[in-house]
Amino acid sequence: MSNVLRPYLAAVRSTLTAALTLEDFSSQVVERHNKPEVEVGASKEVLLNPLIISRNENERVLIEPSINSIRLSIKIKQADEIERILCHKFTRFMMQRAENFVVLRRKPVKVGIQPSPGVLRFIDPRVAQGYDISFLITNNHTDTMLKHKIVDFIIQFMEEVDKEISEMKLSLNARARVVAESYLTAFNV
Amino acid sequence: MDVNFRKIDIDQYDEDALLDSELYEADPRDPAQALNEVKQKAAAVRSSLSKGDVVGALTLVLEDAPYGPNVEEAKNLNLQTLVSILNSTKATEIPGVVKALSTDAQDTLMKYLYKGMALPGWGDVSGSVLLGWHEKLTEIAGTGCIVRAMTDRRIV
Amino acid sequence: MILLEPHNHIIQTTLAEKASQPSALDVQFVDFDGVRFRLTTPDRKVPTALVLSMSIRCWDELVRYGVNDILKREYGAALRAEPEFGYNVTLDVNLEQIPPEGDERDAYIKSLALLKRNALAAPFELGFQTQKQLEAAGSGQGELMALHYRDEEVIYVQASSDRVTVIFSTMFREETDRVFGKVFLQEFVDARRLPTIQSAPQVLYTTREPPLEIRHLQGLNDSEDVGYVTFVLFPRHFAKADVANSTITHIQLFRDYLHYHIKCSKAYMHSRMRYRVSEFQKVLNRAKTEAAVVDRKTVS
Repeated sequence: MSNVLRPYLAAVRSTLTAALTLEDFSSQVVERHNKPEVEVGASKEVLLNPLIISRNENERVLIEPSINSIRLSIKIKQADEIERILCHKFTRFMMQRAENFVVLRRKPVKVGIQPSPGVLRFIDPRVAQGYDISFLITNNHTDTMLKHKIVDFIIQFMEEVDKEISEMKLSLNARARVVAESYLTAFNV
Repeated sequence: MDVNFRKIDIDQYDEDALLDSELYEADPRDPAQALNEVKQKAAAVRSSLSKGDVVGALTLVLEDAPYGPNVEEAKNLNLQTLVSILNSTKATEIPGVVKALSTDAQDTLMKYLYKGMALPGWGDVSGSVLLGWHEKLTEIAGTGCIVRAMTDRRIV
Repeated sequence: MILLEPHNHIIQTTLAEKASQPSALDVQFVDFDGVRFRLTTPDRKVPTALVLSMSIRCWDELVRYGVNDILKREYGAALRAEPEFGYNVTLDVNLEQIPPEGDERDAYIKSLALLKRNALAAPFELGFQTQKQLEAAGSGQGELMALHYRDEEVIYVQASSDRVTVIFSTMFREETDRVFGKVFLQEFVDARRLPTIQSAPQVLYTTREPPLEIRHLQGLNDSEDVGYVTFVLFPRHFAKADVANSTITHIQLFRDYLHYHIKCSKAYMHSRMRYRVSEFQKVLNRAKTEAAVVDRKTVS
């Protein structure tokens, strides 16, 4: 892991570990329903303060905890048009396979919880949106999976996705160079 | 047909409805008073900092920090004061400073760190400084500190 | 395979096979740019008399640029005056009269497989000739020859006294293609700085903005998806006949070459993502606790 990235990932790791204290909780609004409170957002007393960990304006993580579920959204670094396209392709590819990744949401969170100011930490709408991929971890997941391994998975994902995107970009450039050179060399007489 | 009845807020007649004010005790000070206090603190912090007393300055900022709605101005000013302290502290001094703080002050510091990272505009807030403090604070105060920042409804 | 082959592989392999073992057939197949071919034996009892027909989108334009002369030069008497219904060119191939097995036969078959290439060569050959005339005259510009070889894409060829300019307009249907295309085209421009390919034609590209030579034309598409690539061919690229031929062969395939490699890159990205996602899957699976396997037994 590169040294610049370490404090960022360490902060995500500790915050996620703290947030992953989930318990079974039935809906207070609808009888015999049991659903992720962070997605429903109907009872404010079971929602906790959403937290943001950011490295800079283009890389941040939004963690929205609640009593029985947490939502974690990641904004991945995209320096230029190519990285934006590659990131979009990659996250889309993964989200299409969301049923294999039980903790993955099919769509990134559009806008995080917008509480009435004063009840929950008020997240400015400008940083509450623009995420590329979201995870939803519920108490069912923490019951059937090892908590620290889930955290490991998220951290490893964040680490590798940056690496993967920059490697794909490099390989695209390398290919383009070879292609252009071999085409033009054929004109050599 | 008159449909205005649909717009009536029926929750106000519901005895079981949970009100924001029931979730935490409101800040006793009124907004103007809070802002004044913060301004005074900012001045005191500057003098502490010039003497090199980081712990004293931090304790001052974190004590009786304004919270709740209606005091946005005071909260933002207090954050700026705090960030100026964080920025001027050397990375090697951080663990010592954090250890010297009381548990309450540590919790409030954690809240401010998250608030700082959630700022959209940045400006003089640097992500790496906040992350550095976050790391040291977590090492010393533990994840419990993060949990308290998450659960405390008294938003700074 | 980095470079594409200029000839049609199906024509080549089918003819080679039928030359040694004639039998009745009727096949239809396609090539780049929506070109359609049909290879038949009209009379089942005479399997050695083959007919090869081609349909190409921009035939009317090619006729104007003298394609008939070129085809007559290449294929001579094999070229039918009246093409088969639904096609633009028809060649008669008599397997009894083709050269004996060996290099000569391979060359003959290859020349038939290059039918599309030879047809599309018309505007280029005309352009090269015009350049020579203009050079002798000292100045002037040739006609701007447009070749609508695909639905929304055009090749323009224009000769002037010291060079021949070839402009491709190409569509990028998807955003990914557009971005990848930009990367590739930028490399084409940059690659010329290499000392080893200094003598290659100069390459310029623009997206959206048409280049100066064709800006006066009506009905140009100026959306984000369109790209214009200009090749500037100097006399050294077509002074000698064999060099001119290889230049024509090569430049015709530019659009297909570019898009082929864009598709290849996308396929490569896809296989990478597949691998990476399966790795992530493994990491996540490590988090799952082993479900206790309960051995269900009925009373026995």
